[in-house]
Amino acid sequence: MKVIETSNLSKHFGLGETRVSAVKNVSFEIEEGEFTAIIGPSGSGKTTLLHLIGGLDSPDEGDITLSGEKIAHMKGNQLSDFRRDHIGFIFQAYNLIPVLSAAENIEYIMMLQGIKKPERRRKVEEILETVGLTGLGDRRPAMLSGGQQQRVAVARAMVSKPDIILADEPTANLDSKTGMKLLEVMKELNREFKLTFVFSTHDEKIMNMATRLIHLRDGSIERDEQK
Amino acid sequence: MLIKIAFRNILRQRRRSLLTGLSISGGYFLFALTLSLIEGSYNNMIRIFTESHVGHVQIHLDDYLTRPKIYKSISDKDEIETILSADNRIIGFAPRIYSPALSFSEEDTAMVQLIGVDAKKETTVSRLREKIVTGSFFSSQGGENDRTQAMVGKGLAIKLGLDINDEFIVIGQGADGSIANDVFVVSAIIGKKSSGERMNVYLPLQALQEFLSMELSVHEYSMLLEDVADSRSVAKDLQKKLPELVVSPWQEVEEMFYKSMEADKQGNWVFLVLLMIIVFIGVLNTVLMSVLERTREFGVLRAIGYRSGTLVNLIFMETVLLSMMSLILGVIIALPSIMWFSDTGFMMPEPMDMGGIEFQHFKGELTAQILFLPMGIILLFAALISLFPAIRAARLDPADALGKF
Ligand SMILES: Nc1ncnc2c1ncn2[C@@H]1O[C@H](COP(=O)(O)OP(=O)(O)OP(=O)(O)O)[C@@H](O)[C@H]1O
Ligand SMILES: [Mg+2]
Repeated sequence: MKVIETSNLSKHFGLGETRVSAVKNVSFEIEEGEFTAIIGPSGSGKTTLLHLIGGLDSPDEGDITLSGEKIAHMKGNQLSDFRRDHIGFIFQAYNLIPVLSAAENIEYIMMLQGIKKPERRRKVEEILETVGLTGLGDRRPAMLSGGQQQRVAVARAMVSKPDIILADEPTANLDSKTGMKLLEVMKELNREFKLTFVFSTHDEKIMNMATRLIHLRDGSIERDEQK
Repeated sequence: MLIKIAFRNILRQRRRSLLTGLSISGGYFLFALTLSLIEGSYNNMIRIFTESHVGHVQIHLDDYLTRPKIYKSISDKDEIETILSADNRIIGFAPRIYSPALSFSEEDTAMVQLIGVDAKKETTVSRLREKIVTGSFFSSQGGENDRTQAMVGKGLAIKLGLDINDEFIVIGQGADGSIANDVFVVSAIIGKKSSGERMNVYLPLQALQEFLSMELSVHEYSMLLEDVADSRSVAKDLQKKLPELVVSPWQEVEEMFYKSMEADKQGNWVFLVLLMIIVFIGVLNTVLMSVLERTREFGVLRAIGYRSGTLVNLIFMETVLLSMMSLILGVIIALPSIMWFSDTGFMMPEPMDMGGIEFQHFKGELTAQILFLPMGIILLFAALISLFPAIRAARLDPADALGKF
């Protein structure tokens, strides 16, 4: 089943001489259960592309279909709710609400989805164990290491049962050992729950764990490599 | 949960929240206290003013109030007095007569205002008796040589060179157009050289009625109420019962005084508005800072599916919650002070002159309005102020917000 389908996606920034095409004519499809890395040099458009498919930014041209729904022209609350129910996000850093504990951060998104308290609590415990953070649920983000924070972010991203999890350089702020461990957790979730991941990275070791590599250069797909 | 997050966000920048909170509490404290003192001192002024002579409500015939003429008098006194006695909001009432006249002594002449008062009833309405400087209040029946007793204002006493038991002549015009004249004897001197009643001559009601040949009729009924705040409503009720007469609350009787006092009162609000502006600038600054520095966080919230309205709610809630906590603190510090001011107050070293009325005892006022009005205003404006940054934050493009650290 296709999770994402993009056709001729373009996004430009600026006007006149300073106009940059951050994403140019990008078309690709991603199947359920894929573990895809978007790679390319700095400024090649990775972040912009992830924002576009996550509905955080709207394309200037082209279409995005996510789980069968066209999102390019969704707006306002409809788009917010779509993100909440269908997409999980992991960013490079500062993913979590600092005033909530790890467990509350995970629980909160389920609350936004209207899931009842007992079920929320049960799931939080379950998921903390899955990402290897049993017993750390009560800690605020500031009391967790960078790697632990990113695991909480992964837990939060998957708990809402999204169709896809988008991660923009999730390991960029971690040392390579911790980064690898985080990727192993993600990979495990991908295998066990058939969760679809699309992440961007600079790191050679990390990109080698992907099953598919989309190479970006100057906003266009240079190479699409299945492994 | 939203409240929980809002609350924790307030605790996040403890120092900043504390400062803002304290400025809200302090602003409330000053606001409520000032309001209490303004109300207190004006009410005090009104009390002193109305109890001096005017009373709280007056009854006249026709337009006596604006065009006093000797013949515009009330004759059906029994009906009025029955009605006034029956109303338990009225503490006391007194009939009066007025007439301008000329007075002579061996030394000089002067224009005077004759005022006929009922010796017993007058003391239940005005402080005439307390204003006596020397002499006594229509003491024994009849003065020396069986002359009628008169109490004269200090100004007149000086001008005519009168002292207690001195005699003086008064010439006026009777209701029937005849010339009236008589000799009176000074039984008391009233007030100060500068006070409003300095050229008044107070006579027993009956004596003046005879002098003016106006039989048993009077020009005015003045009454004192249990609560001065009821003046307008009592006047309205009485007016219905006495359709052929004109009933006026003190605000109408002394319209000039009332209006200038109201204008004066309004002037005090300038200070309060300035005070509030200072507080609100502080609040705005805090909300703006806390919103700007959390731009990225809001981006994350939007990414995980926060609706923009929820974000507005969150920021709004943070401000309202902080304001409410500060207001509770504000009440805790303001209440004892206001209570002290309204119960005890303080004596000023020198009597203060406000609009020709002297008072020395400075007191506050404690009413629900004084506590809740500043609260409402602060809460309302704090909420309004938070809306601007909140909407700004909610309008942010999530992708842009995420790009900011
Ligand atoms: N909001 C923006 N306004 C203007 N230009 C932008 C904006 N966002 C991105 N760009 C430009 O678009 C191009 C692609 O940027 P993008 O952030 O997608 O690259 P990236 O591959 O994620 O880079 P990095 O590896 O450094 O994160 C860059 O040239 C960048 O300068
Ligand atoms: Mg990037």
